[in-house]
Amino acid sequence: MSETALIIDGGYLILFQAAALSFVLGALLPLAFRKDKNASVASFAPAALGSVLTIALAASLAISGATLEVPLPFAAAAPEIEFQFYIDGMSAFFMLIIGLVTLAVSIYSIGYSSEYYGKRSIKALGLLFNLFVLSMILVTASDNVFSFLVFWEAMSLASFFLVIYEHENESNIKSGMTYIVMTYLGTAFILGAFLALYFQTGSLSFDSFRSSEPPMPAYIRDIVFVLALVGFGTKAGLVPLHLWLPQAHPSAPSNVSALMSAVMIKMAIYGLVRVTLDFTSPSSPDSAWWGMLMVVAGSASALIGVLYAAIEKDIKRALAFSSIENIGIVILGLGLSVIFLSFDLKALAAVALLASTYHSLNHAAFKSLLFMGAGSVLFGTHTKNMEKLGGLAKKMPWTAFFFLIGAISISALPPLNGFVSEWLTMQALLSSYQVPNVILQISISFASIAFALTAGIALATFVKMFGISFLSRPRSEAAVHAKEVPKTMIAGMGVAAAMCIAFGIMPFLAAGMIASSFGLDPQFSDAMSPFSSLSVLYSAGGIESISSMSMPAVAIMMGSVAAAVVGFAVVAGSRKTARRIYSTWDCGFGELNERMEYTAASLSQPIRTVFRILYKPRMAVTKENYSDSNPYIKKSMRVESETKDVFEDRLYSPVVGATIAFFDKIRMIQTGKVNAYLLYVMVTLALLLLLARLIS
Amino acid sequence: MAEALTIAVGIAQTSAIVALAPLLTGVMRKVKARTQKRVGASVLQPYYDLAKLMKKDEVVSDQSSWVFRSAPWVVMVAMITAALFVPAFLPFSPFGTVGDILVVLGLFGLARFFTMLVGLDVASTFGGLGASREMMISSLTEPALFLTIFVVSLSLGGTNLSSLVGAAAQYAGFAEAPSMLFALIAFFIVLLAETGRLPFDNPATHLELTMVHEAMVLEYSGKSLAMVQWSQSIKQLLLFALLVNLFIPAGIPASLDSGWSVAAGAAGFVAKVVLLAMLVAYVETRAAKWRLFRVPDLLAMAIASSMIGVIFFYL
Repeated sequence: MSETALIIDGGYLILFQAAALSFVLGALLPLAFRKDKNASVASFAPAALGSVLTIALAASLAISGATLEVPLPFAAAAPEIEFQFYIDGMSAFFMLIIGLVTLAVSIYSIGYSSEYYGKRSIKALGLLFNLFVLSMILVTASDNVFSFLVFWEAMSLASFFLVIYEHENESNIKSGMTYIVMTYLGTAFILGAFLALYFQTGSLSFDSFRSSEPPMPAYIRDIVFVLALVGFGTKAGLVPLHLWLPQAHPSAPSNVSALMSAVMIKMAIYGLVRVTLDFTSPSSPDSAWWGMLMVVAGSASALIGVLYAAIEKDIKRALAFSSIENIGIVILGLGLSVIFLSFDLKALAAVALLASTYHSLNHAAFKSLLFMGAGSVLFGTHTKNMEKLGGLAKKMPWTAFFFLIGAISISALPPLNGFVSEWLTMQALLSSYQVPNVILQISISFASIAFALTAGIALATFVKMFGISFLSRPRSEAAVHAKEVPKTMIAGMGVAAAMCIAFGIMPFLAAGMIASSFGLDPQFSDAMSPFSSLSVLYSAGGIESISSMSMPAVAIMMGSVAAAVVGFAVVAGSRKTARRIYSTWDCGFGELNERMEYTAASLSQPIRTVFRILYKPRMAVTKENYSDSNPYIKKSMRVESETKDVFEDRLYSPVVGATIAFFDKIRMIQTGKVNAYLLYVMVTLALLLLLARLIS
Repeated sequence: MAEALTIAVGIAQTSAIVALAPLLTGVMRKVKARTQKRVGASVLQPYYDLAKLMKKDEVVSDQSSWVFRSAPWVVMVAMITAALFVPAFLPFSPFGTVGDILVVLGLFGLARFFTMLVGLDVASTFGGLGASREMMISSLTEPALFLTIFVVSLSLGGTNLSSLVGAAAQYAGFAEAPSMLFALIAFFIVLLAETGRLPFDNPATHLELTMVHEAMVLEYSGKSLAMVQWSQSIKQLLLFALLVNLFIPAGIPASLDSGWSVAAGAAGFVAKVVLLAMLVAYVETRAAKWRLFRVPDLLAMAIASSMIGVIFFYL
């Protein structure tokens, strides 16, 4: 946001070009190899290199607060296109997310793609993967509507083809179709927002939107905001526009799911931040309703996303629903920031924006980790149904360990990264008393109930996901014979896990960088030094106090307490105590087996009952008797329960059904007779002539 | 130097919490026994139990993984670290700028996360049953607790526990801040839920109809069981301390200058906590375990109560 010196430094420029070139290389190089294994290395190794370069570029731009302008060679030839790249702090931050996740995922993909050797084209996977990442990088670097939309579409198309990569599976084609239709719907709204801006400024460049003279009238800004929220909200998976997300993410190969969930939906957040805070920055209380709309949509997404994640049996679908939840939290923070900005509470707006962007970064780290973990489970067992897993902690210790780190992080537990952004979001919610509007104050406290409920259910969801998949007895042959995944996959997960830990116990790394890249209040720049704490100043009713938290110190204290506890246990239990391995207590019946342990469905049953209004659970019991005359002796009994997506059922199905019915009716005029069509032409012409006459 | 002294006093406070927590459990059992016209075991019984368990051999399920073995340690570490941030008989914790009330709740969450995993790890139906019930109760307790903190933080300023307790000591009671009264009601309900008391959970039984917490940790024995039980007592004392210091702050010493005021503060704290413990134990003898699906109603009441507190604050 803040204007800083424009730097056209040769070093940055070369980094940018080298990064882009690596991805192009990664896309084209595998085409030259015949063997799948070589093709996989040839596409993912350049991708990893490209992401390292991207990280270097983005991190140095974000930390220094510098901006990079990249003119294109043919720019002089066609000045009217204004096709150039411009990377400021905001772009650099999101570019960093792309780089960090891509690094982990590229390493992981080298091993993961062996799943497809001989079955699918690795060349196509490598090509699309690299194009997908490159288009996302260029989306963040775009500085005008034209290039933004071109790369936005490239991103959508590449990901669409990746979603239907395993196209022999019919459900994947269906989810691909839902995805592409919803994406175009979203793009239409985004285009609408940009067109409204274009009509106002007469230029397609982002610069002109940013510094529009005279300032845009309020109604234009309102229109732009609503169109952008719907458009980018569709891509982000904001409820009720989320329909495509839980279908598309699980359909794609797991390495791509990781990218889509951790990075692609962040591009929508980037667009939303760019439009709301950069182009139409809220500055008067009149725009507070934007923030409230985002708070409502965000908390609704968070709650509904996590509620559906809680009852899901498919591990990847559950993760996809959890992305809806997390994007809700990000948008909640962004909305609070807009509310605070509208009332000119700059310091609080900085806290809320930090919460929102920090959560984006964290979500990128832990969600890519969890999707890679789910991919490893799929790789090892060939199933993503939690009911068929179990006991994997012993068979796949590394995967289990890293998945546990991801689960702790996403459940927002100290000392890992999810907790830091959740803490900041809570502080932003608690600071809402400073907003001078009682209606807003009370509404925000309602939003905070939804937020806290989300946090509680998220914990339960990930206990279930980790516990059912990795602990207790294996529930199927597939899980019994699971094996640990190849080293590159473990390494990929390790990179993401390291990010979860680093952003957790060293928040100054990320907080300082976000502060400088978004030009936030300098109170966060102090956070660059280790041991300093994140803090928020309170002043209410004559009481002033500082709420603060220092994760490095918390981590150190936990470490010292752990040392003390171990020391105490050694001293107090001085006599050597033995440990005997014996079977689980079975109430004396003997022979506990895997059919007696809790399943994913039974574990979440209480939650399903409490929130039945959203799930509409249906239970069907089918009984088979030995003889028709005697209903008391049963041969078999089967209970099936299913839950529904209320939004799909109540919102989308009627609309889709009505649309199809409408077009069925319209087909009546399509008779196939030429004379009828000629009549239509004549009638249309006559009506147009009449209209022209009336107007003139 | 003064800094080092404060830290030393703070660590002493934490050690006292850790050391006295089982005593509180003993007192509550005694009160319960007396109200039921039983003699009951000595109030020191929890210590004897812990000492005995520490020396016993362990039986570990062959189905369990490293999660089962590490969980008691994680839970214990989380609870003691939380104890470092909670002011008990002093008006402050020296680590107030390191961790606030949200960190304390986060650490409780960490402990709960591992306890629920343990329930699933041993592959018995009991464990799953406990984890499943805990999932529902804890996910509903969370909003009630956060909203209570919302009210407290609005009324007293911020989330820093030391300054919250300091501010609480200065205000003149519920007449001045009626929203706090509603928060107190909510916090009391949450406290019953979080410490696994009736009507949510019955800490004394091992019956599949009533177990929640006990079901999850059923497979523990020996040293691990001792640690799980001790951690549970520490959590209980911490929640009692929070309630007492935030809502009934009378008698908290203003500073550390005079030894007498500190001693009086400590005595007052112990008296208040014991009174509260007796109240909770008495409530337990009067209440029956509720059906699991009635529990959300009670928690909804807590949420509603603190929501009224929020509205009271703003109007």
